[in-house]
Amino acid sequence: MTVRTIDVRERIMAKNDEIAARVRARLAAAGVPAFNLVSSPGSGKTLLLERTLAELGSEMRIAIVTGDVQTQNDADRLARHTDQLVQAVVTNGACHLDARQIDTALDAVDLAATDLLFIENVGNLVCPAGWDLGETAKIALFSVTEGEDKPEKYPKMFRMAHWVVFTKLDLLPHVPFSLSRAVDIARAINPTLDFLMTSALDPVGMDEWLGFCRAHARRGVPV
Amino acid sequence: MHEMSVALEVCRMAEERLGQDASRLVAVGVSVGDDAGIEPENLAFCLEALLEEPPFEGAEPRILREPGDGLHLSYLEIIDDDSSND
Repeated sequence: MTVRTIDVRERIMAKNDEIAARVRARLAAAGVPAFNLVSSPGSGKTLLLERTLAELGSEMRIAIVTGDVQTQNDADRLARHTDQLVQAVVTNGACHLDARQIDTALDAVDLAATDLLFIENVGNLVCPAGWDLGETAKIALFSVTEGEDKPEKYPKMFRMAHWVVFTKLDLLPHVPFSLSRAVDIARAINPTLDFLMTSALDPVGMDEWLGFCRAHARRGVPV
Repeated sequence: MHEMSVALEVCRMAEERLGQDASRLVAVGVSVGDDAGIEPENLAFCLEALLEEPPFEGAEPRILREPGDGLHLSYLEIIDDDSSND
């Protein structure tokens, strides 16, 4: 018996990226922008989406795919604010969503009746950076209760993101967090980042974000 | 942190290529870039566990470090039954 070597040299992410390309094509064909919300746990992704649904639900059709390691608590929270579909993906221990899960989840979403799709990824600043889901762009949430140096600690996520949404700005007077320093650190990692400031508990704290959603939603049939 | 997901994908790729020959796999070479966000020892541990299970029969994971952020299934080593080549 002899040992034979088979040269492969294939990217391990190749299959995921192939499915992500298919997801991207499905979304493009339907004209639906899709944003992948990524952050550490507890940064406020679900609350931001709850407020977004409450404020914009009457003017545009927003579908959401949520990923959680266990439970569909986030999906249940969001479903209370909309008649549109909130699709829960329980990853059963996996620390990120992958393109296959999004491809499957989209089977249950009526894309022709969707103006904007949000994917709420698993709270984790490491793994979701490496998995293309076929989204239009990644949006990293960054709460002011975290350290300003988060982008230095998790550079890949901040390199992959197009926007950073600062959350919990209402807590700024109570925490030692310099917004300008955080912006500088993030820009040093990724000079093309754009920033949005939010405070989901402040009546006017959502204006900038809601404007962003309105600007990016598909111009579909009015609800 | 997602080493197990990567290990599962490596095994899927190996099985896809080898089919019924998967049981003859003796080693799997995986190239891991220094900036790939993968902990090599953890990946080797996950692969070792998975390669013990059918259709594999205890193949050895070999982690190859390289510069950059690449992550590749580099090679598969299988035992050839020489009698079938006669």
